[in-house]
Amino acid sequence: MALSPNQPGGPIWSTGRRGAGGRARFALRYFIQLLRTHPVYAGGYVIVAVVAIFALAAPLVAPYSPITADPSVYLLPPSFSHLFGTDVTGMDVLSRVIFAPRIDLAIALVGTGLSAAIGTFLGALVGYHQDARGVPRFLSGFVMRSADVLQAFPVFVFAIALVAVFGQSIASVVFAIAFVNIPIYLRLMRSQVMNIRRMRYVEAAYVSGMPDSYIIRRHVVPNAIAPVLAQLSVNIGWSILLTAGLSFVGAGVRAPTPEWGSMIATGFPNIMTGQWWPSLFPGLALAVTVYGFGIIGASIEFMADPRRRRTLANAGGPIRDPGE
Amino acid sequence: MTERDRLNVTRRTVLEGAAAVAAGGVLPASFPSIAAAAEETHTMVIAAPATPQSLDHEFDVSLGTIDSVGGLYDNLLEYEKVHDPKDPEALREDISVHTDRPYNLALKGKLAEKWEVSPDGTVGRFTLRQGVKSNWANELTADDVKWTWDRKLHLNGLGPFQTGVLGITKEEQIQVDGRYVISFHVPKPNPLLLKQMVNLSNPVYDATKCKQVSSSDDPWAHKFLENNTAGFGPYVVSQLTRGQQAVFKARADYYRGKPYMDTVIFKEVPTSASRLSLLQGGSVDIAQFLQPLEYITLTKASGVKVDAVPASFAIWIELNAKIKPFDNVKVRQAMNYALPRDDVLKAVYHGLADKQTGCIPIIYPNFTDKFWTYDTNLDKAKALLTEAGFKDGFKSTLSYNAGDPVQEPIAILYQTSLRKIGVEITLNKVPAATFYDFVTKREQPMIFYLDSPWVPDPGYSTQLYFNSKSYVDYSNYVNPEVDDLIKSGLETLDPKVRDETYTRVQQLVMGDAPWGFIVWPRYVLARRANLEGFTYYTSNNLRFQDFHR
Repeated sequence: MALSPNQPGGPIWSTGRRGAGGRARFALRYFIQLLRTHPVYAGGYVIVAVVAIFALAAPLVAPYSPITADPSVYLLPPSFSHLFGTDVTGMDVLSRVIFAPRIDLAIALVGTGLSAAIGTFLGALVGYHQDARGVPRFLSGFVMRSADVLQAFPVFVFAIALVAVFGQSIASVVFAIAFVNIPIYLRLMRSQVMNIRRMRYVEAAYVSGMPDSYIIRRHVVPNAIAPVLAQLSVNIGWSILLTAGLSFVGAGVRAPTPEWGSMIATGFPNIMTGQWWPSLFPGLALAVTVYGFGIIGASIEFMADPRRRRTLANAGGPIRDPGE
Repeated sequence: MTERDRLNVTRRTVLEGAAAVAAGGVLPASFPSIAAAAEETHTMVIAAPATPQSLDHEFDVSLGTIDSVGGLYDNLLEYEKVHDPKDPEALREDISVHTDRPYNLALKGKLAEKWEVSPDGTVGRFTLRQGVKSNWANELTADDVKWTWDRKLHLNGLGPFQTGVLGITKEEQIQVDGRYVISFHVPKPNPLLLKQMVNLSNPVYDATKCKQVSSSDDPWAHKFLENNTAGFGPYVVSQLTRGQQAVFKARADYYRGKPYMDTVIFKEVPTSASRLSLLQGGSVDIAQFLQPLEYITLTKASGVKVDAVPASFAIWIELNAKIKPFDNVKVRQAMNYALPRDDVLKAVYHGLADKQTGCIPIIYPNFTDKFWTYDTNLDKAKALLTEAGFKDGFKSTLSYNAGDPVQEPIAILYQTSLRKIGVEITLNKVPAATFYDFVTKREQPMIFYLDSPWVPDPGYSTQLYFNSKSYVDYSNYVNPEVDDLIKSGLETLDPKVRDETYTRVQQLVMGDAPWGFIVWPRYVLARRANLEGFTYYTSNNLRFQDFHR
C-alpha cells in the first residue's frame, strides 16, 4: 500500500508525484510562512546571514588589517577611528571581530559537516543492521561500544587532548570537533533508522528485492535525516563555542589569527585594569552567532515535525503540498 | 600624559573590573579568614602564583621554593645593603667592585663571622659564628657546612653546577679545620669563591638533624627536606599544603633576633587579576608577579605601593646558531635590528623594563653598553639580510611560553616588524609544562627565554649562557675565543684584568648576536603601603625577615 508523504507511517520528505520545481516552491512558501508567523526564527537567519556576509566580505569592510600590530595605538578605547577600540598590540578589535568568523565558521562548518557525514553514515548502517546476525551484528555492537567509550570522556577535555596530540593548527581543531561530535550523529541516526526500517514502505522495498544499500540510500536516510539537519545547526553553534573555548585555553588557532575565543582570552586580563573592549566585543559576537545558529536549529526542528507543519499550513492559509 | 592617563585607568574602571572578576567566582573562598589574619600587625600574607613545590632547593627552583628558602635558611655571607638609586624606599645588595675593600667586595658575615682567602686565591677559610642554633636546637659547626657541600657532590641536582663553577669535584676539597672552621680548596684562583657563599642556592643545612632522618634509601635527607626545615634561618615551615598555602613561623631563638613578622602566609592565587584584587581589597600584604599593566593601575591606588627596581632578569630570543638561517651572523644581527624594543617597552611592559643593551645584567659589575648597536633599524636589517643572501626574506618559527603573558604580545609585535623586511614567522604557543623541554632540547629555530644569573659576576653570567660547553647555552652559540676568555676571567682575582677580559667577551658576544636582545624586566613588588623593608636580591626572591610595618 502506497502511503502519501507526511502521513503517519509514510515518508516525511517525499518524492513521488510532484516535480522538483513544485517541491521547491512549496518549501519556499512554507518557509516564508514559518518566518512570518515566528519572527524569532527570522532573527536567527538574519544573524547567521549577516555573520556569513561579513566573513565573506571581511577584506572589503574591515577598516584595518586584522593581523598587523600597531603599538602606537595600543589599548585605545572605542572611538571614531577604532569603533571597537584596539587591543594590547594595537590591532583594531572591530577588524578582528569581522575577520574572526572566517576561521570560526569555517572550522565549525567543516568539523560539524565531517562529523555529521561520518556519524550519519555509520548510524544508518548500525541502525539498519541492528537485528542482523553474524558479522553485521558484531560490527554494529563494536561501533556502538566505541561510541560509548568516546562519549565517556568530557568533550572539552577530549578535544584539548586531541589538539595536543596532533599539534596546534586549524586542521587539528577541525579534526577534534569532528571526532567528538561523531557519536551524537551516530546515535541520532541509528535511533531514527531503527524506527524507519520497520515502516511498510521499507518492507515493501525489501520484498521487491532491492539491495540493502539502495534501501538505505533511497528510502531510509532521506526519511531519517530531518533530526540530523536540526541537530546540525545547533551543533555548528556549539562547535563555534568549542573552537573559541579551545582558543581561550591556548589550544586553538595560532596567534595572531583573528578568532573570537583567542581574542577573549587575550583581552580578558585587561578587564581588571579597565580595558573591557578587547574581550567584550568578540564575546558579544560569539554569543550572538551561537544564538543565531540555535534559533535556526529550532526552526528546522519545527519544520521537520509533520504535525506542527500541518498546524502551520492550516493556520496560514492556502499552502498546499503539490504532492498531495 | 602619563601611562595611566593614556590608558584611561581610573579608580572606577579598576573597581568595575575587580567586581567583574569577583562576580566570576575567581577569588578563593578562604580569603575572609586570611583577610582577618592580615589585620594582625605581625602577620604577613602573600598572594603568590603557586605554593612551593618542594622546600629542597637542590631539586626545585620554582618561584615559591626560592622565596621559602630565603626565609628558612641562612648562608655563610651576605652583601651589604644600599638604597636603590631609582627607588630610595627599597634596599638592594651592594654588588659593585670595591677596590678598597678586602677581595674587592662589600661583604658581611652571616653564619660566618670571619673569612679569608689565601694570597694565591686557592683556599677560602671561614670561621663560623658560635652558639648559632638550628630550628632543631643543634649548634652550627663546620660539620654542617661540610655535609651541605658534600651533599651537592652526591646529588644530581643543582649541586654539581654550584660546585663545578668553583672547581670542586671531590669531598676532600672541603675540609673541616676545627669545630667552627671550614675551608674550601679550589684548583685555581677563583673570583666566585666568596660570591658563591652568598648565593641563595648554597644555604647551610643542619647536618645533625638531616643525618637522623636519613636512611639507606635516602642518605641525604631529600624526602625530609622536601617538606620540612633543618637549617639556621629565621623561619620554619609550619604548614605546606601544595596548591593552597604554606605557613612560616618566625623563630624566637634566631641568632639575629626574632624577625618582625611572626607568621607569613604564602597563599596560592593562580590568576594575577585575583592577586591584584586581593591586594587592593587589603586582604593580602603582597601580590606577586602581576602583569605590567596591573602594576600601573596600582601606582595611584590608595594604600598600595609599587616598587620597581632594575634586576638581574632578562628576556631574550634564542637564535639557534645550528639551524639555518640563524647559523649566519648577519641574519642574527638583522633579527636584532628588526626587534621593536621601544614598542615592547611601551606597549607590553609599560615602562617597567629597560632596553637590553648588553649580554649581562645591567646591574652587574663590568657591564658595558658601549657595544650596543641594535636600535631598531629596518633598513639596516634588510641590508644585512641581502648581504646574507636572503634578499627576499625567509620563513621561520618563533616559539613562546603560553604561561608567560608578555611573550605573545612581544611575538606579535616582532612578527609585524619582521614582515616589513620579508621575514615571515609562525608563532608557536607552547604549553608552560612543556616549554622548558623545548628550550633545553635546542631544536627550535627561535624561542623565548627568561632567566637571571643569580651570582652578580660577569664570569658567572657569561659562563652560563655563552660558553659553548654550558648546559644553558640554549642558542648553540660557539665562539672559541669567548670560551677561552670566560675561562681565563674565572681564574684571576685581578679586577682590572677581569674588567678587560669581560669587556672583550661582551664585545664579541654582542657582535655575534646569539640572542635577539629584548629587555631587562624590572623586579616589581606590589605591597600594602604600611609594609616596609623591601630589599632586592639578585636571586629575585623575597626574604620574609626583611619586612616590617
